Amino acid sequence: MNENSPAPEHRVRQGMDYGETEDVQQVHAAIKREKVEPRMGLEPLSLWLIGIYGLAIFFGGAYLGRYSGNFGGDGLDPLGGASVAKKTGPQGPGGPSAELSQADRGKKIFSANCATCHQMSGLGVAGQYPPLAGSEYVNGGTRRLGMIVLKGLQGPLVVKGATYGTAVMQPWDKTLSDAKIADVLTFIRQEWGNTGGPVAPEGIAALRKELASHPDSFTESDLKAVPEDANLQGGNAPPTTKPSEALNPPPAATPAPKT
Amino acid sequence: MKGILPLFLGIFGTFAFSWAGLVLIPNAQIGHLDPQMDEDGNDPYPAPKSGMADRGRKIYAANGCVYCHSQQVRADYAASDLERKWGDRRSAPRDYLFERPALLGKMRMGPDLANVGKRAPADDQNAPPPSATNATSPAAPSTSPAAPAAPGTSPGTSPAAPAASPAASATTSPAVAAAPAISPAASPTKKETAATAPASPAPATSPAAPAPSPASPPANAATTADATVSPNGAPLPYSAAWHHRHLYNPRSVTLDSNMPAYHFLYEKKLISGQRSADALTLAEGDALPAGWEIVPTYDAKCLVAYLMSLDQSHALKEVKSTAPSSPPAPAKEVK
Amino acid sequence: MNPADVPLQAPQGASIATNPAADVTTGDVERVERALIDASTRLPVLFFYGSAIAWLLLGTLLAGFTSFKLHAPDLLSNVSFLTWGRVRPAHMNVMVYGWASMAGIGTAIWLMARLCRTTLRHPLLLICGGAFWNLGVLLGLGGILSGGSTGYEWLEFPPYAAIVLFIAYSMVVSWAMLMFRFRRGDNIYITQWYLLGAFLWFPWVYGASQVMLFVVPVQGVMQGAVTWWFANNLLFLWFGAIGLGTAYYMIPKVIGRPVYSYHLAAIGFWTYALFASWTGMQRLVDGPFPAWMVTASIAASILTIIPVATVGLNHHMTMRGYFGLLRYSPTLRFTVFGAFAYTVFSLVGVLLSLRSVAGYVHFTEASVAYTHLGLYAFFTMVMFGSMYYIVPRLVGREWRYASLIKLHFWSSTYGVGLMVLMLLAGSLSQGSSMNDPSLAFSESTQAILPYLRGRSVSGMLLTVAHVVFAFHFGLMLFGLGRTASVPTFLNPQEEDALEGPL
Repeated sequence: MNENSPAPEHRVRQGMDYGETEDVQQVHAAIKREKVEPRMGLEPLSLWLIGIYGLAIFFGGAYLGRYSGNFGGDGLDPLGGASVAKKTGPQGPGGPSAELSQADRGKKIFSANCATCHQMSGLGVAGQYPPLAGSEYVNGGTRRLGMIVLKGLQGPLVVKGATYGTAVMQPWDKTLSDAKIADVLTFIRQEWGNTGGPVAPEGIAALRKELASHPDSFTESDLKAVPEDANLQGGNAPPTTKPSEALNPPPAATPAPKT
Repeated sequence: MKGILPLFLGIFGTFAFSWAGLVLIPNAQIGHLDPQMDEDGNDPYPAPKSGMADRGRKIYAANGCVYCHSQQVRADYAASDLERKWGDRRSAPRDYLFERPALLGKMRMGPDLANVGKRAPADDQNAPPPSATNATSPAAPSTSPAAPAAPGTSPGTSPAAPAASPAASATTSPAVAAAPAISPAASPTKKETAATAPASPAPATSPAAPAPSPASPPANAATTADATVSPNGAPLPYSAAWHHRHLYNPRSVTLDSNMPAYHFLYEKKLISGQRSADALTLAEGDALPAGWEIVPTYDAKCLVAYLMSLDQSHALKEVKSTAPSSPPAPAKEVK
Repeated sequence: MNPADVPLQAPQGASIATNPAADVTTGDVERVERALIDASTRLPVLFFYGSAIAWLLLGTLLAGFTSFKLHAPDLLSNVSFLTWGRVRPAHMNVMVYGWASMAGIGTAIWLMARLCRTTLRHPLLLICGGAFWNLGVLLGLGGILSGGSTGYEWLEFPPYAAIVLFIAYSMVVSWAMLMFRFRRGDNIYITQWYLLGAFLWFPWVYGASQVMLFVVPVQGVMQGAVTWWFANNLLFLWFGAIGLGTAYYMIPKVIGRPVYSYHLAAIGFWTYALFASWTGMQRLVDGPFPAWMVTASIAASILTIIPVATVGLNHHMTMRGYFGLLRYSPTLRFTVFGAFAYTVFSLVGVLLSLRSVAGYVHFTEASVAYTHLGLYAFFTMVMFGSMYYIVPRLVGREWRYASLIKLHFWSSTYGVGLMVLMLLAGSLSQGSSMNDPSLAFSESTQAILPYLRGRSVSGMLLTVAHVVFAFHFGLMLFGLGRTASVPTFLNPQEEDALEGPL
């Protein structure tokens, strides 16, 4: 039907009026000369293309592995991974936590968890929360302290001659880790003129294991049952002990007496 | 390809993979953070922005500030952001907890603003700018130190003699100083000479001459004839008044600034009686006819409140800070 | 699904099908079929094209403001709706949603109809979709200029405009799907993979981003992650897929030769879908994000070398021996330029994303250069090519002036080339000053100023190109094209062997 040319008068038609008449083909001269719709050949892959694939995958994978930041949510540093200690390591002083001493870390834990009751001054609140500054419990053996913090305390308690205890101390064994409890105890034993030695995390760990089945909340009489100078293991390390050293406590540490 | 099903499954599968990998998993990792409290139980960080600052963020977004100003500080290994004192530490996800929109930005045609509020003069947080106090005492200008302005600039170029301006001559005290002079002195990132005022656009009516007072307090360039309106001191850099002046005419503060002026955030008003307390202290290039003043609109005030609230200096436990003075890193940590 | 059950719509004149002309060959039947398809797509496609070109002109105007204001900041800065910070997103969104998307949809409709060998049913409804789309862009533009920008890059349209856009889109996509449903023939051609992918990916990425930013907003920095996940996927899986699909059609179609290899095409498509969709986070490099997110995107960028090399090789081998046709066919010239620009775009993207390079060019104009490479040098040029091919078939006229096409091509090419070069070179200089803390920050913005002026010059070239093209398109639209049986060649044909390559 190519030869079915339209009458010449169709040629004068202009504007948008195409294709609705029999000269649809004529108007679509473009279609007549159009090539076939695209088809697909089936040439195989060339080897060097596969080589490019290999290279791209290799470099992509290597890049991902190298700069992954350990895939952690807090691994902001592509090389360093998640831990702050790694990042601060080569930078020397200035890191907020990695370089801190045990007592300094304890201070933060104290301010976040304990200071609401015992106050940052360590003086407590009269009648309710006993003071830590100068307290015989704080300055004495670490075992009692560990018991109090791990399991909490209930009922009246006499500290420095005054009676406290209208409020309850909550058990912290589910909230704070061994290291944190050790840190905070070390802090309170060295702050406000207190003179206690540091507390080692493994001492807390041992005590935690020992008290695992104990119900919550000791009372004053429970504490009195424990010798005043009973210490946890690793307790008598020098005050400047860094946590890393505290992991290997000196043999001089007084072993905790069994109850 | 013949099977339609594999095609559909593939199209969905690949994209679901990307969605899960780049959006859902990260959202599980960093999408549910809490403010950091454990440094000090009473000191949660970050805190949601309050009324004006919150509205200011919308103004910031609506006017496209984000296309030139980023709000993220990169770590020291990546760039020199920290050396430029754009922050004490890199930004962390927790900094943006309450930001909506989180205006991280991807372009720096202007400096980073993550800590611009921190750079404000210490006593200026949400307080009236120092200049405002000057405004109340007509005698103040001649004695007000205008701290950063004078020492770093040569008196020959910037301060102009007041007597040359007929309008200003009605007032007795002011020395008219070019505003650009004040910016570089206290801005640590700018080279002193780069932004300073050799080409200060001083009006033709005020030929440059050494100011009588060594401190040469920049005067209100509005040069109002009303003697009851006293000229203000130059705002300290990054103070609220400084931000207003900068927004109103960036090149009156930083000479080679690329920033457009935001005149439409300010109103030109006829002074009726007392000059408004929040009227701008204009640079002399922006001199207004007598009896007029420029006051910020509410939007402008919100925007400045937002800028003043931008502060990531609070230490975060997940990133290290270069600032030993930040609160949770007490000084004795070094011992 | 039997294609035989779905006959083509009978021609209204009914004269061809029933024409008693003796020798009706299969070729003739195909031609009639194509003519019918073209007739059915005429109105919607022309509507989309017309709107797209109108937006292109408006976007160009806004681009001019954006570019000039960068080195003349006081230009018109007293008018709130013309402040730089509003004009820039307005320009970007008009180009992205107004020009590029509408042109892409127009081409996609036509390609889909041709490849599915089915007429477009109810074209008026598609026009309705187009009208809604226009309304959405208009609302969004008004929203941005009046200070309602959301502050998320590429998603500045206020939510109400986004909803309108989404409604419009669902109208469009349902028609595309319907066409696909009623396709004839068993083979699904490469272009259809890409188009199908684009049509399914767009609502996902757009809808998911809108929901995660406005309906159930994600926390803090995740908004940034969602934004850039969206932006890059829009670039790759919406524009990129349409652009590549179009190139896969136009190149073999114009030269009348099969695509080199199905295998390459399949590998290219699937690796593209897999890897390109993972890019985006590299724009947040060193930001407050877990490093692995950024690194994953960078690695994905590196891996996009696979589809890029594959697709590039496929096109190259298809074209081999036919490069001479670039001298004549406007479609081929634009399309091949676009396909080549795609390779450049991707490789530049890989380079810019590497952490070591990003240390210099992050926060500079390099990202603008990258976007323009993708959206203009690649996508827009391919769209121009397809329009040069499709429009004559819709209006039944040939392009009036070869000289205008040439002018369009060269000013576009030089314009975008100059722009990308200026911005890339400028970003290096800007970035190196920015990273040198001994220099004032303002040194870095001063350093790029000359390049920004150069960019404005390139913008003028592009403006010329767009005005010329719009004028030419207008001629076609009003039936002022040539009535001839030979296409408009860029240059007079020297040999007869070319057989009318248009």
